[in-house]
Amino acid sequence: MSSPHGSPAPFARGALLSSALPGALLLAACSGPPVEPAPSVTEIVIGTPAELEGVNELIAQGSDFNAAIVGNLFLSLLEERPDFEVGPPTFEPRLASSFEFSEDRLTLTFDLRDDVTWTDGAPVTAEDARFTWQAQISPDVAWSYSWSKESITDVEVLGPYRVRFHFNRAYASQLTDANEGVVLPAHVWGELPFESWRLQPEWFSEHLVTNGPFVLESWERQDRLLLARNPGYFEPGLPGLDRVVFRSVRDPASLLNMLLSGEIDFAPSVRPADATRIEREEDLALIEYPARQYTFISWNTRRPYFNTARMRRALAHAVDRQALVETLWFGHARVASSPIISSVWAHDRNLRPLPHDPQRAEQLLGQEGWVDGDGDGIREREGVPLSFVLTTNPGNAVRWEALQMIREQLLRVGVEARPELVEYHKLNAMNLAHDYDATLTAFLIDTSLDLTYALHTRAIDNGYNYGGYSNPEVDRLIDEANAALDPLEARPLYHRLQQIVQRDQPLLFLWEPSRLVAVRDGYRVHPNSLGEYYALREWTVATAAAPESATAAGERTESEAGDSPSGP
Amino acid sequence: MIHFLLRRAAASVLLVWVVLTTVFLALHAAPGDPFSRLTDPRIPRTQQQRLRAVYGLDQPLPVQYGAWLRAWLAGDWGQSFLYQRPVAQVIASKAPTTFLLGLSAFLVQFVLGTALGVAAATGRGRARDRWLRGTTIALYSLPTFWFALMLALVMSRGLGWFPAAGFSSPFAEERGVLRYALDVAHHLALPALALGLPPCAFVARLVRNRLLEELSKVYVTAARARGLSEARILLHAAHNASPPWVQVAGLSLPLLLSGAVVVETVFGWPGLGSTTFAAIGARDYPLVMALAAISAMLVILGNLLADVLLALLDPRVALAMETP
Repeated sequence: MSSPHGSPAPFARGALLSSALPGALLLAACSGPPVEPAPSVTEIVIGTPAELEGVNELIAQGSDFNAAIVGNLFLSLLEERPDFEVGPPTFEPRLASSFEFSEDRLTLTFDLRDDVTWTDGAPVTAEDARFTWQAQISPDVAWSYSWSKESITDVEVLGPYRVRFHFNRAYASQLTDANEGVVLPAHVWGELPFESWRLQPEWFSEHLVTNGPFVLESWERQDRLLLARNPGYFEPGLPGLDRVVFRSVRDPASLLNMLLSGEIDFAPSVRPADATRIEREEDLALIEYPARQYTFISWNTRRPYFNTARMRRALAHAVDRQALVETLWFGHARVASSPIISSVWAHDRNLRPLPHDPQRAEQLLGQEGWVDGDGDGIREREGVPLSFVLTTNPGNAVRWEALQMIREQLLRVGVEARPELVEYHKLNAMNLAHDYDATLTAFLIDTSLDLTYALHTRAIDNGYNYGGYSNPEVDRLIDEANAALDPLEARPLYHRLQQIVQRDQPLLFLWEPSRLVAVRDGYRVHPNSLGEYYALREWTVATAAAPESATAAGERTESEAGDSPSGP
Repeated sequence: MIHFLLRRAAASVLLVWVVLTTVFLALHAAPGDPFSRLTDPRIPRTQQQRLRAVYGLDQPLPVQYGAWLRAWLAGDWGQSFLYQRPVAQVIASKAPTTFLLGLSAFLVQFVLGTALGVAAATGRGRARDRWLRGTTIALYSLPTFWFALMLALVMSRGLGWFPAAGFSSPFAEERGVLRYALDVAHHLALPALALGLPPCAFVARLVRNRLLEELSKVYVTAARARGLSEARILLHAAHNASPPWVQVAGLSLPLLLSGAVVVETVFGWPGLGSTTFAAIGARDYPLVMALAAISAMLVILGNLLADVLLALLDPRVALAMETP
């Protein structure tokens, strides 16, 4: 491994450069190509608009990027496998070498590895697991995911490397909940009282002791983040790269430029419009896989236009979702039909989106009493025109263009949707207050299947059921599915649920986007639906002596993406 | 002059307080807060309320304002929600890079702009004057963001002469101070041009017009009649034409920060501009307040600087300043 590079302090750097500036500017044009890394170092340079918020995930806001970086600095007990397409998620051992439920499933015992150490040399023990749980449930720490520990009543240390989680009830996702969050260093972070954690967030980066495959070598916000190999990491031969550089690039056009000019090797999110351009590059490969996300229009069921399922079905028939996918996503998305996305095992594969059928839409609108009596092209009922505001947030060109296309499509059946951009925070407040007509937005989801957040009556006032949809049968099915001990047994419940949602159309599911990742040839990377940086410790770069592994890498990743079930 | 400066300092403190109070009220009146981006559907909505309580954002606005004002008067700028560290540290880490960009753009704007203006004025009616007038109009009318993107497109992606974004190449600092400085300058060139060239066109036109105005005055004709060299005449005319130039220079000071918001975002330059962009989007109240204070102080400082320089250039202005 190369010698660690000590970055000059930012202020000193600025002062130094200010004095050196005039001459340096003149010389800049002839300074040649970017500095090449030392040949003995294996590294990858990643360009991303995302930022690490903090190294302590319990007080960070919880972005995916933060979780990815923290997940490479710290170990969790187990790691979720990317197998949610074929069945309920399974886990592979990480810090825990094994786990076992009691017969009544009220206790879950983990045996920890005895060969894992913190970067200061201290062993990682069961005390760390207990301390982590105490921090996670502390009201002072106020962790955003503390709800996942609500059913855990105690974490008992049975020995230096044996820890037992006690639950007050048995349920399907006990393992997921026990495993939520990384294990923290009790012997260091325990020195700061919980009530000070949110007041002194910088304390944790100043007292950073980790146990993951990488260490945080430098971190200059909005500039770059450098992960370097942890020489004390327990898995022999890993990580495969000496260092990983994350360069902060906010502007998508700049990101594309950097990718094309060779300044970065990996772009975790490529715009669909840029996909063809990247595919033309000989030394770049595009990897595509389903994102854990669906975009939809939420109809406010409290408005007279949207208060019947037949009305909402009429609107669904009027919107040509395939055209949206082809025009706006250049085919890099699938038409959505359900809140359980098509790449998840519980998705009802027999479900088909309501077809684009303007005639059927007109028929249903007529049955609802909406007719164009005055011949102005817009239907009316009791003198009220069928005209509503369709909102979305600014800064997302695809959504705005989608609104324009949907407006045209609805107009053809006599419905006037008036597109409107509303600032993100305001739109969010309006949606939560049910103060809107119709809104186009998206949910980023995990692999659990609790649909309470979007569809349960409980979620109208305490969730994200923006449109106020309420159906007792849906509520019952969600509750029963959540209570099932074996998720596979709940599959019929999930299917029935999706069929009802298809019938009721509280949301018009538009598309499930693909994630497009670009990588330079020679890198063996494993992005998938669980994350762009999945298994970062196993990423490698081909050396001159092993060119075949690079080729195999490309095949493997593309095959993984290709294996994903395609949407309807 | 001393009295003038003291009066201005007192007025400046009041002005900064008014600006910050207005920003505080506007920021809290705007929808959202630092936690309204917590929209992971798995996180209960009550979590936002819980976090607001932890940070005192659930308190009535006057209480929050009082707490903020007390902390500020004690020199505590608070913790940034976005960066999870003290605001003063965030500012201190970002200010040098913005200063570097601002200084470079300032040089482009005034050194190049003045040179072009003088060249146009001394060549009035000739080809170079016509060319410069056309070019500067075109340049000045370009929106900054578009100009920045075009620069990146042509100079970086098209010609490959400059890096597309960033402050330096990875690990450039490992290659010695000179190579590191060169690498940073290589990265700095495009953002500095994007930030400095459009206002440079304005400066060029200002210098040209003011210089021509002076050169047409009677005292210039008289100087020529006395046999003074054209260079000396130009020097006299330039001195008399300089007050507006000085004012523009002073007023440009805050623009270097506000303009940097766009340019730093396009070129991934890790300075206060891109920090401002991120802080407003994330409703990072303490950081936005500090950045607003810096912006306000730059405006005041720029004005003050312009006034002092004007007084030094023109004794009549100095006399007026002494009048209470």
